[in-house]
Amino acid sequence: MQGRPSDLAHLQSTMHAFELACNSIQMHVNPAAAEATILSLGQSPRPYQACQFILENSLVANARFQAAAAIRDAAIREWGFLAADDRRSLISFCLRFVMQHACSPEGYVQAKVSSVAAQLMKRGWLDFTAAEKEEFFHQVKQAILGIHGVDVQFTGINFLESLVSEFSPSTSTVMGLPREFHEQCRSSLELDYLKTFYCWAQDAALSVTNRIIESDSAVPEVRVCTAALRLKLQILNWDFRDNTNAAGGVRSSINVFSAGVRHDNDSFKRSECILVKPGASWRDVLISSGHIGWLLSVYGALRQKFSCEGFWLDCPIAVSARKLIVQFCSLTGTIFPSDEGQTQEHHLLQLLSGIIPWIDPPDAISKAIENGKSESEMLDGCRALLSIATVTTPFVFDKLLKSIRPFGTVSLLSNLMCEVVRNLMANYTEEETWSWVARDILLDTWTALLVPVGAIGGNALLPPEGINAATSLFALIVEAELKAASASAFNDESDSDYLHASISAMDERLSSYALIARAAIDFTIPFLTRLFSERFARLHQVRGITDPTETLEELYSLLLITGHVLADEGEGETPSVPRAIQSYFVDSLEADKHPIVVLSGSILRFVEQSLDPEMRASVFSPRLMEAVIWFLARWSCTYVLPTETSNGNNCYSGHDDEHQLDSHHSSKDFLSFFGEYNQGKLMLNIIVRISMMTLISYPGEKYLQVLTCYQLLPALVRRKTICVHLVALDSWRDLANAFANERTLFSLNSAHQRSLAQTLVLSATGLRNLEASNQYVRNLMGQMTAYLVEICSKNDLKNVSQQPDVILSVSCLLERLRGAASASEPRTQKAIYEMGFAVLNSLLILLEVYKHEFSVVYLLLKFVADWVDGQIVYLEAPETAVVVNFCMHLLQLYSSHNIGKISLSSSSSLLSEANTEKYKDLRALLQLLRNLCSKDLVDFSLGEAADTNMSQVIYFGLHIVTPLISSDLLKYPKLCHDYFSLLSHMLEIYPEMVAQLNSEAFAHILRTLDFGIHHQDTEVVDMCLRALKALASYHYKETLAGKVGLGLHAAGCTDPDGKFQEGILSQFLHSLLQLLLFEDYSTDLVSAAADALLPLILCEQGLYQKLGNELIERQANPTLRSRLANALRSLTSSNQLSSTLDRMNYQRFRKNLHNFLIEVRGFLRTV
Amino acid sequence: MSDEEHHFESKADAGASKTYPQQAGTIRKNGYIVIKNRPCKVVEVSTSKTGKHGHAKCHFVGIDIFNGKKLEDIVPSSHNCDVPHVNRTDYQLIDISEDGFVSLLTENGNTKDDLRLPTDENLLSQIKDGFAEGKDLVVTVMSAMGEEQICALKDIGPKN
Repeated sequence: MQGRPSDLAHLQSTMHAFELACNSIQMHVNPAAAEATILSLGQSPRPYQACQFILENSLVANARFQAAAAIRDAAIREWGFLAADDRRSLISFCLRFVMQHACSPEGYVQAKVSSVAAQLMKRGWLDFTAAEKEEFFHQVKQAILGIHGVDVQFTGINFLESLVSEFSPSTSTVMGLPREFHEQCRSSLELDYLKTFYCWAQDAALSVTNRIIESDSAVPEVRVCTAALRLKLQILNWDFRDNTNAAGGVRSSINVFSAGVRHDNDSFKRSECILVKPGASWRDVLISSGHIGWLLSVYGALRQKFSCEGFWLDCPIAVSARKLIVQFCSLTGTIFPSDEGQTQEHHLLQLLSGIIPWIDPPDAISKAIENGKSESEMLDGCRALLSIATVTTPFVFDKLLKSIRPFGTVSLLSNLMCEVVRNLMANYTEEETWSWVARDILLDTWTALLVPVGAIGGNALLPPEGINAATSLFALIVEAELKAASASAFNDESDSDYLHASISAMDERLSSYALIARAAIDFTIPFLTRLFSERFARLHQVRGITDPTETLEELYSLLLITGHVLADEGEGETPSVPRAIQSYFVDSLEADKHPIVVLSGSILRFVEQSLDPEMRASVFSPRLMEAVIWFLARWSCTYVLPTETSNGNNCYSGHDDEHQLDSHHSSKDFLSFFGEYNQGKLMLNIIVRISMMTLISYPGEKYLQVLTCYQLLPALVRRKTICVHLVALDSWRDLANAFANERTLFSLNSAHQRSLAQTLVLSATGLRNLEASNQYVRNLMGQMTAYLVEICSKNDLKNVSQQPDVILSVSCLLERLRGAASASEPRTQKAIYEMGFAVLNSLLILLEVYKHEFSVVYLLLKFVADWVDGQIVYLEAPETAVVVNFCMHLLQLYSSHNIGKISLSSSSSLLSEANTEKYKDLRALLQLLRNLCSKDLVDFSLGEAADTNMSQVIYFGLHIVTPLISSDLLKYPKLCHDYFSLLSHMLEIYPEMVAQLNSEAFAHILRTLDFGIHHQDTEVVDMCLRALKALASYHYKETLAGKVGLGLHAAGCTDPDGKFQEGILSQFLHSLLQLLLFEDYSTDLVSAAADALLPLILCEQGLYQKLGNELIERQANPTLRSRLANALRSLTSSNQLSSTLDRMNYQRFRKNLHNFLIEVRGFLRTV
Repeated sequence: MSDEEHHFESKADAGASKTYPQQAGTIRKNGYIVIKNRPCKVVEVSTSKTGKHGHAKCHFVGIDIFNGKKLEDIVPSSHNCDVPHVNRTDYQLIDISEDGFVSLLTENGNTKDDLRLPTDENLLSQIKDGFAEGKDLVVTVMSAMGEEQICALKDIGPKN
């Protein structure tokens, strides 16, 4: 790489051109050309000399920056064939450069060169010998220890920062190498270097500490210390993997690493807590070296200096020091010896005593912040509490502070939080203030303390003093929430988007409140009961006299809070009674006096009054009803007819005792109050009546009805035990009857009618036997099918069908049928099949009549898709034939209406609506086809005949659907996904059918495949590659067996102009090789591409040889040419690759292709 | 559902097709609605409340199906809205006359000659070009509230 003198002029001119380009890009003069010049340097072969020349001589900082980038690009690309000396010299050049220019004012150039050095170091990491690495690190160590002065010291630390971030998988740069490479680098650094780096950082920090503490103003050493602290923080943030078996941890069941993901995020943006588990080998450095004491004393000294010039609460060194302290609070795992947590407790106590001044006394701190002090120290204090709470049990957490204060940590936490809540109450705004942030962190702290940890079981119980703290805190929280509620009662909700975001945030907050409330359950329940009864009384007093809105809003809040306290979110499962409530023991023996029963009962009695029209009009506003329905849905999941009720104390004592393994008899006693032998059925009846009332008496209240239809009613039918009672209730019969025979429910939003149909059909599982269940569904849906058939048999259908009211009725009926169809279960399958069967003919008539009415056609297609989905797996051969034939007709009819149709409108938005409609239709059709496909995955019993029948309809469908799919429509991601998954499924299962497609359809499928291979979504590409593999391997196997395989399609043909057209496999061999060698793609795809490439090569050996030779001949450089030739040879010959298509062979070829690409892609792409 | 029911709201103005009342809360996106006496396709529906504890109201954004203009309306969701009767009929295109009218073949074999071509250049050329190429074209004519317009075009081409 030595330059001859004659080159100097050339280098100069390169530099000038480069500088010019850099300058013009900054001034935005002809940026495209300038960018091309800059990029060309990195893309040219061996540009190192020029780059180094620019770095050393250019006065333009930006040019130096770009030159460093060019070194990086070129070296990473050419790494494979750089000589070992060249590699090393590039790294040493970069290192030397940053050290020499350590005082350069252009920090970004320094950082860039540093990171280039780090990247190159990583690229060669696995090839360098230990001695070679030692040589590099020796320089770095010298620098960090401060031998060459403060600036070089800073630079050295900075380099390590880049290096560590380069080796950490989440922040590493892409190098076009397989994942294993990054993984090996990561574990090598973790094992051999990370701790050493940490010690160097510590040494560097120690070396400057005294200077900083002694001086009264900012000195250059501060920069070094800050960088050292930052590096330490970064190292502690490392995703330690090699010692995840955390035996000594206080809370060993939390293993955030087990999932292998970790959100590297040192900014604590969302106040989540990351555990630090470096393992036992770090004990000497972090624990026993007095390191913590040093850190705390440094920060303590800094605190004294905040009044001095150059230091303030948010100056970088203070921020870094605090972050590091917080980070140490979440230290856990085997780093602590197994001495029953003593060392860890001592460690935490030491930290806590350093942190206490940041947060205690809370009122003084809060006042200071209100008077203008920065809140960051206080927030960091809260974060430290969160970290400590995460690694300890409530008991240990509380005990920590007791040794230095007269009260426990929980009391401090409670006082701090009370102060924050008071501040929030005093300054009620919509903006996020410091107290918002503090409240959220502290709530997370409570959650960390109180959430019972799975494996340990039992409750995370607080010590008595802690319970008192929780009591007063909860009372204050509720007070604040109620105050906020009544203050906001008259706010108009203008921005509904903001509202939804704040609802989910609110939900999270309420769950944390509930944990605090449950910790003080003895107080909470009577307290809430009292608050409710006060408000009920107030409502009755003021009714008709004054505006009750404020009270209504308070009740709204109270219902939400109480719902969270009493029950957990089910998320589709049946939540059990929260443990704190299960073990809530009161002396009273009578179940109906139990506080939980009293509270639930008083709410239910209040809510029941909404059935009275007069009360409804004056008290039960739609919004209050929303809270009521939400509460009932949540509460009834847990309490109404609980699964475990057994030993009711009234009658029928214990059968079905196996659930009861614990001894909390008192809790089970009060639960029996809600059971089937006590008040359960009565309560269920009330709930059903209320839900029906919301559907009928609140016309147009969509959100309320959403809650009823999608939350409350589905929650009721989820459990079979409830269904058994539901179907026997008068109120449920009334609901079913109104649904089946009356017009009233037709005025619901049609989507809600769908959900209602689904719910009602699902309740049929509660009936005694199969016959009764099916009969129930027949009674329910019989009217609908009859009605639909009747409409379709009208003589004047064509005239009346376009009338809006008829369209509305038909849409509602289709939605109801769809709801019923999606409730298919084995017990009711027969009746639902009959339901669909009865309307098959009518559906075809409707499709014809409404061919221009998108909204109806879409519902119709969705119904068919759902019906087929629910039924197909149960059907016998003759029924399958009926369904398949019907789908055939449907597809034919749909395509005859839509192929070649163009919408005309001068309005672009109407046109785009039309496009969206087309997209939705097609997606429904694709879903239908895919649902049909699922038959061949579950059922092999159909025999040949039915099998071909099925594949025919699906191919026919594909035939019909593909011409409708344009590349514009494939831009809809979901449609694209559906289409390609269907396509790859088809080609994998029925490759033999492809040959039978006519050439036009075939060509269209291939065009879309080609489109898919170049798609951005890797999943789509993967599916296309699978399809390709299926096609090629089918052809190969068939031709080996002496059959035609894909026949003409593969052979290629001569088109009318006399030009020879390549066969399709050749075309794909071409485009796949092109993709692999020259284009950008995710490395994850290489395996799938290998699987497709192997059969393609085997099919088209001749072409492959030809392409390979062309590739070699295009290569001008003789060394590269021989490399390429060797690589191509070993691609098809190494690893004993044979010409069969078995599993072993595919695997070998994958390996070969991986190696091949690493070997040649670097230089091929430069050409 | 008997035919008598369909006559309850016949608009007095002559020639206008009927509109039908429908509860605002049941009108969904992609449906039709009359806003400011124009037939519109609903492209957006949102609901809000009059005050926190008041009743729901629907906010509709519609696009005039004939002239493409955007119109908006707010209706309490329990109230009724007018929904236009939108009819679409297919005709085979027989001829395009010099004066901007089309000649269409009706189902019973008569011709319909009273429909103007669209004025929009783009649409016009889409119809004219297809016709000039000698394709067999079917046009869909949309009619609502006394207005008519060609809204779609389909090439039924030579049968394959």
